[in-house]
Amino acid sequence: MFDFLIQGFGVALSPLNLGLAFLGALLGTLFGALPGIGPINGIAILMPLAYTLGLPAESALILLAGVYTGAEYGGRMSSILLNVPGDAGAVMTTLDGHPLAKKGLAGPALGLSAVSSFVGATIAILGLTLFAPLLAEVAVMFGPAEFFALMVFAFASMSVMMGKDPIKTAIGAVLGVMVAMVGVDSGTGVLRYTFGMAELYDGIDFVVMIIGLFAISEILLMLEHANRSDADEGMPPLGRVMVSVKELLFCKWAMLRSALIGFIVGVLPGTGASVAGAVAYTTEKRLSDKGNTFGTGDMRGLAAPEAANNAAAAGSFVPMLTLGIPGSGTTAVLLGALMLYNITPGPMMFTERPEVAGGLIASLYIGNIVLLALNLPLAGVFARVLTIPRWVLVPGIAILAFVGVYQLHSDLTAIYLMLIIGIVGYLLRKLGFSLAPVILGYVLGGLMEDNLRRALSISGGDLGILWQSGISLGLWIAAALLLTLPWLLPKLLSGKATDKA
Amino acid sequence: MKLAADRVLGIVLIGLAAFAAIFALKLQIPFSYEPVGPKAFPLGLAILLAALSLVLVLRPGPSGSWPNKTLSLKLLAVLVVLLIYALLFTRLGFLITTCFTVLALARLFDAPWLKALLAAVLMTAGSYLLFTQGLDIVLPWGYWMPELG
Repeated sequence: MFDFLIQGFGVALSPLNLGLAFLGALLGTLFGALPGIGPINGIAILMPLAYTLGLPAESALILLAGVYTGAEYGGRMSSILLNVPGDAGAVMTTLDGHPLAKKGLAGPALGLSAVSSFVGATIAILGLTLFAPLLAEVAVMFGPAEFFALMVFAFASMSVMMGKDPIKTAIGAVLGVMVAMVGVDSGTGVLRYTFGMAELYDGIDFVVMIIGLFAISEILLMLEHANRSDADEGMPPLGRVMVSVKELLFCKWAMLRSALIGFIVGVLPGTGASVAGAVAYTTEKRLSDKGNTFGTGDMRGLAAPEAANNAAAAGSFVPMLTLGIPGSGTTAVLLGALMLYNITPGPMMFTERPEVAGGLIASLYIGNIVLLALNLPLAGVFARVLTIPRWVLVPGIAILAFVGVYQLHSDLTAIYLMLIIGIVGYLLRKLGFSLAPVILGYVLGGLMEDNLRRALSISGGDLGILWQSGISLGLWIAAALLLTLPWLLPKLLSGKATDKA
Repeated sequence: MKLAADRVLGIVLIGLAAFAAIFALKLQIPFSYEPVGPKAFPLGLAILLAALSLVLVLRPGPSGSWPNKTLSLKLLAVLVVLLIYALLFTRLGFLITTCFTVLALARLFDAPWLKALLAAVLMTAGSYLLFTQGLDIVLPWGYWMPELG
């Protein structure tokens, strides 16, 4: 049953792919370390370049997955050193990471978080290797109706788990799905929302969408951060660079527990590293914060979210590879990247394209070791990346965004579209939207409509087919429970409390 | 009713939903092989969007912090710089437009003149080499220059 992994290592150990895994890990750590450029931005900027290099699908995926996991490693740098999370997954890392740095323990904090990241990622990659083929075998039984129900479930779980505002998460997802409607309808050839523009017939290009939404809006947001005065308090000295074995052993249970939590949260569709970090931190605080040291620089409070967010990053590959449903915003982008290569991830990928699925998983093992090897000794070098001024960073992003979009079709319309999407993305972020649901909706929208229409074609228009099978009925019930529980649960609990009183 | 950012957004989104719905209803479908067709799904989305936006209008959240006047002007300036970059990208070619764009952006992000100039020259040259030599991307030369090769 692990044939795919053996074949995968064969793919991943080729010199080209080994080099790409290394390059991806390096670039990813850099992107993650830079405040504001998280995994999605890094992948958005690099994807068109990977595409022009003419890399085969598995190689491009190995590079981009390296950037993804590397960015989760790198995100901790600015959290610990500057108290500014490098990406959404590293928000909880600031809580105990920065106090440690203030105590003069920045070096050990970086070392400990690198090891925690490694432990979290390793456990999750093992989980991915074990569970993905099993899930793929179940998923082969999925028909269009089941897939439609699964996507509804994914959006439901995302709305509830992500962010403070479920309504805005839902609106974001709907907007994303609506963007996916633009272009020629594959069933009938009717043009939808193209407004007579030939450039829109194929829909809004994936690269244009993510570079506009993430890179351009980030440039605008950076301008605001640059004008805020509270951020710059200077970098604390690193102190001794290595973490001691004693400190590591002190955190071992925190790491292991959080890695498991992170993996499970990562597997749930629609919830990614940020949710995992938060859940792991609060769990660990409840379990082991005996002396109220969490939040003041407790090493376990640093190890927990770091193990969890890296575990979630690897865990979110499970639904993406087996079901074609991304587990996070970043895997949504990776899914889109695969679609550019005409590969639709799903249950058949382990049997039809084992070199892609296996190669990716094998490269995660390799990349994880490379990342630990890079991050332990070179923490000081990566930390210096944080001092790159914004006036270098912003023009750099602008150049990469423009050339990346321009080289798609050598056409300016795409660039104008990118700028418009960037402004919309900026406004949405200012209004408290998270962009991950938008991109998830955009990537899944077309598939969702296709599956719905295919299911109803099979039944001749009878809606009953959507919940006829046990799997789809279960998914509908799970989705309904997820959506109603946050309202019902407090009422039920308070009802019980009054009964007792 | 209080004016809140969420309320304005909700109203705009309801407008968008109405527009999307009308567009979907007006679609002329020559012949369809399947029961659903291309109208139903966008129509459903529009209804869902309108319903969710209505919640936003009725129960808006806090408006958050919006940029003040000087910052808004700067944001606008960045957008104008990017728009000009796009407008002139093919007309004047990659080298000139990129050089001026980097200079302008670096200045907007508070770099001193000398550093901004240095960044403009170095980043233009560096990215040009990376794209043409490293990645084999054909960059626009502009119409003003005679063909150099």
